[in-house]
This record gives sequence, structure tokens and C-alpha cells, in this order.
Amino acid sequence: MGVMQTPTPNPTNTLKTPADRAQEFVAVQGGPETTSAESLMVAAYCGMWAILMIFIFLSWRRQQKLDARLGELEAALAKRGRS
Amino acid sequence: MTLKKLSQPILLLTTALVFFYLIQFIVFTVPQAQAEAGGLAQKIFYFHVPSAYALYLSGAVCFVASAGYLYRPSDTWDSWSRSGAECAVTFGCMVLLSGPLWAKKAWGVYWTWDPRLTTLLLSVVIYLALVVMRTFTGDGEAERKFAAGFGILGTVNLPIVHYSVKKWGGNHPTVVGQGGGGLADPNMRLALYVGFFAMTLLAVLLLIARARLAQSNAKLLALEEHAAVEGLLESP
Repeated sequence: MGVMQTPTPNPTNTLKTPADRAQEFVAVQGGPETTSAESLMVAAYCGMWAILMIFIFLSWRRQQKLDARLGELEAALAKRGRS
Repeated sequence: MTLKKLSQPILLLTTALVFFYLIQFIVFTVPQAQAEAGGLAQKIFYFHVPSAYALYLSGAVCFVASAGYLYRPSDTWDSWSRSGAECAVTFGCMVLLSGPLWAKKAWGVYWTWDPRLTTLLLSVVIYLALVVMRTFTGDGEAERKFAAGFGILGTVNLPIVHYSVKKWGGNHPTVVGQGGGGLADPNMRLALYVGFFAMTLLAVLLLIARARLAQSNAKLLALEEHAAVEGLLESP
């Protein structure tokens, strides 16, 4: 009974000739999805909150500017009314 | 302090508390879904769908106010129409950002020209065009009327977004509503309901804030005109 021998990995077996190597890259549809679900979830939540915070900040800043300008104009008109 | 003055801080505090509860509930309690739905990435759903609902709500406000403005022009109708469009853009951006990130895990691609995705993008672009137009053009009667017409057009597209999945199919899931299998776990359902409640509160807050901003802007323009007549300012 012969002894079974496990083949030892030989890198030269996989690369026989230079012609066997990849010589071009071709786009394929699908393939295994490797993106981490955790990072996608964190990115989605951070992105949504960032959009919201930017919107709130811009609204707040604009309201502050408008209130300041309105106050200035109302004071100027009141002053004119008194004089 | 009157009840009216207190109502906004109370609303703000309630919204913050509900969101805090929702986020910790989604992270620590809600189970993750099957791998085909994106696994852990499916948890984006609990903000993604309520954001889309808030977009519909803002669109509805824009529609009613735009129609009201066309029927009887006033600063109040105009400010609510503007506010509705601005909030619709914000919620639309949230949906368009979260959806592709979830799709990457569930479908393997960020974007596909699925009927729902395409129609939603169209709606957000219409509202965005309206906001850009109101920002960079004047605040005259013609601009306001044109914007009101645009606001109606944007909202008319929303039912198409909603029913596109049933009419034309596509990749987009139909878990919630008629024809959907629903959410199997009670915690999943609770997270979605709390999400809807939180987004309703947020949408109301933002709509009020932006409408007030638009009203202040209209008041400022009127005051500037008055000040110019009084000789306090150069004529605009």
C-alpha cells in the first residue's frame, strides 16, 4: 500500500509562463461584497446627522443676522419717528 | 413665561430625548436583519424610512402653502411654502445619503436606476431647484408665484415616488405597507414607530424654524423699503 503524499505548494506551478499571468483587468458585475456593514452604518448615521447639523447651524446663523439687522432698522426708524 | 414661549423649548427637549432613546435602542436592542437585507447595515432603515416620511411631510406643507399662496398671496403662505421646500431638500439629502450606503451592503452597488430611487432623486432635484431659485433671485411677486408652482410640481411627484415600487417593481424593498412582509421582530417594529415619531417632531421643529426665518426675511425687506422711503437707506 503506497503512502499518500500531500503536494507541497510550489509557486512555480501557478505561474508557468509569463503569458499565463493577468495581462488585463476586466470589469465584472457583482462579486463578493466585502464592505463592512459596521462602517456603512456608522457612515450613514454620521452623514445624516452632519446634514441635519449643517442645516440647523445655517438656519440659526441666518436668523441671528436677520434679527440683528431688524433690530438696527427698527431702532433707526423709531429714532426718526421721535425726532 | 407664556405657554407659547415655552412650547418650542419643550418641543426641542422632547425631540432630543426621543432621538437619544431611538439611537441607543437601535444600537443596543434591535436585532440585526438577515444577510440579504444588509445584516447590520439594515439598521440604517430605522432612520432612512422616517427621513423619507419627513420628506413627504415637508412636501405636503410646501404643497398646501404653495396652493394657498396661488389662491391668496401672503407672506405667511410664502414663508411656509419656502420652509417646506427647504426641509424637503434636507430630508431628501438624508434619504439619498443613507439609502446608497445601505444598498452597497444589500445590493452590492451604491446606486441603481431603480424607479423609486430615480423618482425620489427627481423630487429632491425639483425642491433643490426651488430653494436655489428663491435664494439667488429676488423676492418679488413673480418669483414667489413661480416658486409656488414649482412647489406644487415637486409634491405632485411624491405619490409617484411612493407607488413606483408597486407600479414598476425594481430592487427597492417593500417591507412596510401593503404587500410587504413587515418587520418580524417586535423591537424592529418599535424602532420604526419611534423613528416616525422622532422625525415628525424634528420636521415640525425645522418647519417652524425655517418659516420664522422666511417671515423675518420678508419683514426685513418691508422695513428696508420703509427705511429707504424715510431716507435712512439708499433706495434698493
